[in-house]
Amino acid sequence: MYADFDLVIPETLDEALEALAGAVGGGNGGTQPLAGGTNMIVDLRARRVAPSRLVGLGRLDGLRGIRIADGRVRMGARTTMSDILRHPDLAGHAPSLVDQARVFGGQMVRNAATVAGNICSGSPAADAVPALLALDAEVTLASPSGTRVVPLSEFFLGYKRDARAPGELMTEIAWDIPPAHSSNRFYKLALRKGDAITVVGVAVALAAEDGKCGTARIALGAVAPIVKRATAAEAMLCGQALTPELIDAAARQAVDDVDPIDDIRASAEYRRHCVHALTRRLVTQAWERLT
Amino acid sequence: MTGAPQDWTRAPNVNLRQVGKPLVRTDVPGKAQGRTRFAGDHVMPNMLHAKVLRAPKASARLTRLDAAKARALEGVVCVLTAADLADRRAATDIPGQTGRKRLATDQQILVRERVRYHGEPLALIAAETLALAERAADLIEYDLEPLPGVFDPVEALKPGAPIVQGTDNVVATYKVRKGDLEAGFAEAERVVENTFRTQFVEHAFLEPEVGLAWVDENEVINIRVSTQVIEHFRAIADALGVAHNQVRILGSMVGGGFGGKEDVTVEIYLALLAQATGRPVRLAYTREDSFFGHGKRHPFVITHRTGVTQDGRITAVQITMTADAGAYVFLSPYVLLYAVVAGPGPYRIDNVHIDARAVATNNMYTSAFRGFGAAQACVAHEQQMDEIAKELGLDRLELRRRNFLRTGDEIATGYAIESAVWSDDCMTKAWAALGERAPEDGPVKIGRGVATYQQSYGRITWLHDTSEAWVGVEIDATVVVRSGVTDIGAGQVSALAQIAAELLGVSLGEVTVYNSDSATTPLAGTTTATRALYMTGNAVHLAAEALRGRLIGRAAEEFGVAPSEVDLAESRAFVIDAPDKSMALKDLVGICASEGIHRSELAMFRAPFTGEIDPETGQGRVHPDYAFGAHAVEVAVDTETGEVTVLKSVGAHDVGQAINPAAVAGQIEGGAAQGQGYALSEAMIYRDGELMTPSFSEYLIPTAMDMPRVQSIILESRSGLGPFGAKGIGEPALTPVAPAIANAVADAIGRRVFELPITPERIVMALREAEPRKGPR
Repeated sequence: MYADFDLVIPETLDEALEALAGAVGGGNGGTQPLAGGTNMIVDLRARRVAPSRLVGLGRLDGLRGIRIADGRVRMGARTTMSDILRHPDLAGHAPSLVDQARVFGGQMVRNAATVAGNICSGSPAADAVPALLALDAEVTLASPSGTRVVPLSEFFLGYKRDARAPGELMTEIAWDIPPAHSSNRFYKLALRKGDAITVVGVAVALAAEDGKCGTARIALGAVAPIVKRATAAEAMLCGQALTPELIDAAARQAVDDVDPIDDIRASAEYRRHCVHALTRRLVTQAWERLT
Repeated sequence: MTGAPQDWTRAPNVNLRQVGKPLVRTDVPGKAQGRTRFAGDHVMPNMLHAKVLRAPKASARLTRLDAAKARALEGVVCVLTAADLADRRAATDIPGQTGRKRLATDQQILVRERVRYHGEPLALIAAETLALAERAADLIEYDLEPLPGVFDPVEALKPGAPIVQGTDNVVATYKVRKGDLEAGFAEAERVVENTFRTQFVEHAFLEPEVGLAWVDENEVINIRVSTQVIEHFRAIADALGVAHNQVRILGSMVGGGFGGKEDVTVEIYLALLAQATGRPVRLAYTREDSFFGHGKRHPFVITHRTGVTQDGRITAVQITMTADAGAYVFLSPYVLLYAVVAGPGPYRIDNVHIDARAVATNNMYTSAFRGFGAAQACVAHEQQMDEIAKELGLDRLELRRRNFLRTGDEIATGYAIESAVWSDDCMTKAWAALGERAPEDGPVKIGRGVATYQQSYGRITWLHDTSEAWVGVEIDATVVVRSGVTDIGAGQVSALAQIAAELLGVSLGEVTVYNSDSATTPLAGTTTATRALYMTGNAVHLAAEALRGRLIGRAAEEFGVAPSEVDLAESRAFVIDAPDKSMALKDLVGICASEGIHRSELAMFRAPFTGEIDPETGQGRVHPDYAFGAHAVEVAVDTETGEVTVLKSVGAHDVGQAINPAAVAGQIEGGAAQGQGYALSEAMIYRDGELMTPSFSEYLIPTAMDMPRVQSIILESRSGLGPFGAKGIGEPALTPVAPAIANAVADAIGRRVFELPITPERIVMALREAEPRKGPR
């Protein structure tokens, strides 16, 4: 492998933002941030990208870590999948996020790969995204001119296109701790159990109110150009006492909410089949926990 | 040949002290501590780095190749194209030992005009750094004019199909005509016919191909390389146009082979560049290079038409086989032959009719892979046995029992098995070891499967295989073994040390083995075909036995007893019935040394030699002997998503004699993993000949998270042709695994997926065919 690029390793967030200012996100020849590198190094080797400058974020320790306080989970952008697995309280609040981290890549990738890196890769198969979408996560984007908060559900604009302005850096991912009567689940379907690219990823989060489904979130990975929520299916569940028939109908609706493709891993038809089967299964399991 | 079944005793036939013990293999400490030097760990001063430029199309005409810009780049020392190689060609046949003419398989080393497969080499580059070599590759300009290709072996046989090379696309054919097929089918009460398909798979060894070559002061081209076969020095010399004694192959510890390092890989490229530059040259394949750089396992389409009586006796089988040979011949004819010999499975069937062919396509060429055709045959015959049992409503194990070969029975090619056939014992034990059945949970169904096999060990008998080893005792009573054998990670060298230690009465730590040097170690033949222990183990046994005889003879003189009363153990010679009469081996060796008694021995072991089988009937001896055993699994299948979890995996094999049971278990565990990948997840996908799965993120070998704990059951008939009655376990460990899993999945879901790999999608589609109303739409 050979690749020519300059490597900048800033010591502070301000230095990093300055180094990234004016960077064209995703393009070649420009400046790109480098976090865990588990996508970047692979892409460099395969010559899918050819940045002229990388801004290594490895020394920005302030961007790493999970803080749970005041009813909110705040996760630094550089938090790794292994950090998620090691956190003592996260499994209670967000089992879906912990479950995805458990099946994310292989152990070495989990040690290096960051949450923001996974989100910003733009891959429809990014495993952290369905769980975070179902948790109603928001992301903080920073630039020398300030910061702004964007709901993750509005972050993805299309295949490998997102809401970051040139030079903007994701610094934090945050969400409200789910209410007491709630449940969230994640399942990754892949062609083997360890270290595989997702064929269908499903995250479900339900909250119960008075024996009925208060809010419902269904997020689906690897079945559309972006990870997306099955909003029509969610709407069928809200305000209802969930029956097997209703859950099955919503799971069928979820199939209409996605647009999978054929690739070497699976056909679009099989992916639709699994969206139905897994959505039904996860909603059922989440609902059983609430009743 | 023995006509009648023999009563094989299970009692040890020798008093073994070193052999049969699960000793720590001699290669383990170095590997565990990172001290073992593999071929890629060697560098030399003034060394150049090489790169191979490969064609990005599967079928094309090379109309222009211009390396001027690459050659002009500073730091680029050499670029070789076909134009620089005059009429040089490389043989791709297996190295023979008879001096007979090889099959006409010679091929272009670099593309002259016609690109026949995706990744065929266009140019070789040597530069001062690897980065410069890669940059030079980018600077080579070429034009490829696409040509119609053929990518399916059945299509390749149709009139008008593009011809890959020569006059037609048939690479090899074999047939078997045994007994009376019509009479056999007339006797049958049921006829069961099914077609089974297998895929291209990749060896995926840990260590990609790598080597370092230099020309020494005697003009000898030295190549230190990761290979299973140092005997390729002859073919390399022929390709270079130099004498055989002007090429030397130095092997290193090999990081996995599985047949993928059985053919020449980087050697000729290295030799050409070292010759052209006069400097040492290193070439290390990346994983992507490796995917393009060696042949794959042959995909087969196999149809079985089996006649069977109502009580489960097979009266006739008609088998057709079509194998995809890819763009060049390599070992396809031999792989096809092995598939034919193993075609009906380990069953006594009097009426057998087989037609098999290997067909050229513009897919990646296919060649050796653990199991070597017999594995593909097993995928078919074992699934067919389950289908027959289902058809008859008979227990699957019972059907097999009613048909198993017994010692003295003839196999498909007419050879009568002389060694033990413990298929039933192995199958029964493997099945019993599955224990209690896991409970079913909603859509998750549980299934079980078993498969048995007939796998040869040792090379084809008309190749007249031999192996040499030298054993010597030093004056301090330590032992040296010299043999060309390559150690590809299965403990080949350690087994030789264990055999020498056993016979010379020393501990394993007192034996040093020097191996894998075509110039200085006696040639042992290839580490392929489950032959290393059988052949070279016997050579070491012969040499050590001769030495032992001399040592014991001299000790007997000293003790005043007959040689038969003396034994060697724990570095001492002693009288068996009067152990106080003893002397240190060191003292005995000292006496021998001062008296000029020869303290070393060079021995050659010869396998059985035969002529070729009858080309019209396929009857005759093909292999020295066969191994038998079984693998059983229990799986859980999610019938909604099609996901398969292998819950239990048990291999039970008659290895004849385990030299080191820990090493045998290692082979069974590795075979279980490799076979599981073959069954469920591994596929090299070529679309119009172009590889769609060029990395480990697309090509999915099982991970630790996918594997259950594998149980190994070792049976020892001591009836094999190897040392101490050993058979072999390298290939047998893999062969039955995939069909056992296929049978378990079919058992779980009540439907069969007739094509490997059995992916979740194929399972869902099979279930959907069964119940058309199920599914989302």
